[in-house]
Amino acid sequence: MNFLSDIGHVLLTADLWRATLEAAALLLLPALGGVISERSGVVNIAMEGMMLTGAFFAVVADLAWHNPWLAALVGIAAGGSMALIHAVVSIRFRADQIVSGIAINIFAAGLTLFLVQRIFGLQDVGHVGQSELLPYINVPVLDQIPFFGRVLFQQNVVVYAAIVLLVVVQLMLFRTRLGLRIRSVGEHPQAADTAGINVYAIRYGAVITSGLLSGLAGAFLAIGISNTFVPNMTDGRGYIALAAVIFGKWTPIGAFVACLIFGFGQAIYDANSVIHVSQYLLSMLPYILTLVVLAGVVGRSIPPAADGVPYAPENE
Amino acid sequence: MAAIRRIAGGFAVPLGSVVFAFLVGGLIVAVTGGNPFAAYQGLLCGGLGIACSTTTGENPALQISTTIVFFTPLLMTGVAVALPFRAGLFNIGAEGQLLAGSVACTIIGIKFSSLPAPILLPMVLIGGTLAGAIWAGVPGVLKATIGAHEVVTTIMLNYIAQWLVRFLIVGGPLQAANGFSASTPIGAGARLPLFLPNDPGLVIFGLPAGVYRVHTGLLIGLVALVVFAVVLWRTSLGYEIRAVGQSQRAARYGGINVARTIIITMLIAGAFSGLAGAIQIAGVDHNLTDKYFNDTTGFDAIAVALLGLGSAVGILFASILFGALHAGGSVMQADAGISSSLVQILQALILFSIAANFLRVLRFPTLGLRRPAKAPPRATTP
Repeated sequence: MNFLSDIGHVLLTADLWRATLEAAALLLLPALGGVISERSGVVNIAMEGMMLTGAFFAVVADLAWHNPWLAALVGIAAGGSMALIHAVVSIRFRADQIVSGIAINIFAAGLTLFLVQRIFGLQDVGHVGQSELLPYINVPVLDQIPFFGRVLFQQNVVVYAAIVLLVVVQLMLFRTRLGLRIRSVGEHPQAADTAGINVYAIRYGAVITSGLLSGLAGAFLAIGISNTFVPNMTDGRGYIALAAVIFGKWTPIGAFVACLIFGFGQAIYDANSVIHVSQYLLSMLPYILTLVVLAGVVGRSIPPAADGVPYAPENE
Repeated sequence: MAAIRRIAGGFAVPLGSVVFAFLVGGLIVAVTGGNPFAAYQGLLCGGLGIACSTTTGENPALQISTTIVFFTPLLMTGVAVALPFRAGLFNIGAEGQLLAGSVACTIIGIKFSSLPAPILLPMVLIGGTLAGAIWAGVPGVLKATIGAHEVVTTIMLNYIAQWLVRFLIVGGPLQAANGFSASTPIGAGARLPLFLPNDPGLVIFGLPAGVYRVHTGLLIGLVALVVFAVVLWRTSLGYEIRAVGQSQRAARYGGINVARTIIITMLIAGAFSGLAGAIQIAGVDHNLTDKYFNDTTGFDAIAVALLGLGSAVGILFASILFGALHAGGSVMQADAGISSSLVQILQALILFSIAANFLRVLRFPTLGLRRPAKAPPRATTP
């Protein structure tokens, strides 16, 4: 009985829900990228590697220039560069997109570790000063609301950005001409091509966007939530984001709901002192839930029709 | 002549990919201020025991032995990826299936540690094999029945297996009492024998025989390759697997039960991976350790299967390459001061190159790589 009241106590703390939202935002950014990329017909399992690259270069830039905003931009660009490789290999060279994605993830893990040891010698890359981190911003007035103020309005600047991006991407995909083009390229590229849409341009743009968003998430992880780079610090978050994309049935809002669920799992094991479930068993939750969704228990999750199929115009 | 060209052409793409990877990898080393020649000398010495510098004191025989220990599990996980490829399935889950096999082997090896080897050794190997098969069977059934994409389901199961291992040996039921993140060792009867006796008096190539850790799992791995080739090319199941891979629709019209073939393919693939995991425990480590958190054998297997073009001989050569790279990486780091993570970079470059088939697109005039002749121009109507 004690256990139940303990759980009840934890669930009522604003900090738990604040941490849930923060963890969800970290997953949401790469998940939004995944949604855009896959909606355009390019399978993207490389968010993990793009995040990791973003995290590394953001830390390096922050250590060099002592400016978190510039560092975040560098992280975003680094993620975008990785995505550019994925785009060139899978669009221009029509490679198997899954193999390319795996290669990106291996490449990112290898390259960041290699550079850590080349640049910093040992594995310790040094720590970014408190004043050089991406800041937590309390929204004036609103942050005074009891409970919700703490949960919603005392967050990192990137969390606010992620929520704005969620709305932007949702509207862009389903309410604008560009979104219609992206989706048509992902469903039936031949038809889209015939209608005068540049399939390659749309796909390049979508894949690179996924890299930019993942790079931002990496920067948030390294110089917002944490203050240093540790090899393989993303620790599967890119794959959880992939799970969120599928769990959310390839929609931004759906992915966000999935991220909230997975983020809640993350937050609850940070509060593990009260709830005596192994954090390792809790860590399985996103993957098990996604399997359950894929198994059709909670409705079917069906990818865009041309997802993963390289596009080759017939006259080539 | 045509046969020679065909064989040369078969080798050209993988060889070209490896050359490409080493060139770009060397460039990365050079750009970051390292000496690529020293790096590759270290790799060569550590991997194949040749070109060792006389000052560093590496023992070539020991390095070759290490390479063999590294490539043994790749033989089986390579098959675990290559066989589903033939059926048009992409098994990214070899890692999770391997971990499932390692876990099962460890549990059985601890619980029944007092049993003698003739009983316990088959038990742990079969147990690992079955666990791997189950771990791959889930994606197989999901794919065959409701069409859930096996890439996604196997990725999810990889992570579930990884967290399961962490749960078991960090504060979980398998953790040894000494506080380290490792299980208690399996019983003596559950261990695969080494080729060389652990006899301090016996000295081979200047080192006591006990340091050479080549174990009899190598023979199991080679048999697995033969089984793979025979099943694929000499049985009706292999025919069905290849038919499903060519065209599910045609296979179905030909009377093949596609769903059943998909499930069986995944079960067999998982069995190979699970066996590899069991052999790692029974032959090399003898307990489940935190080393398995970062194990990449199942991911290397993807590169092995692709580089080996899905054939048994190709898998053998590709496994040797990646075993040698992993063994060579630590020597390169120690002797040349180049991070062993260069090996991962090389592996990624090989994957890019094979997947994108840069060679084909660049139209190098390589033997056997010519583009197919263009269709004759259409007759112009007057």
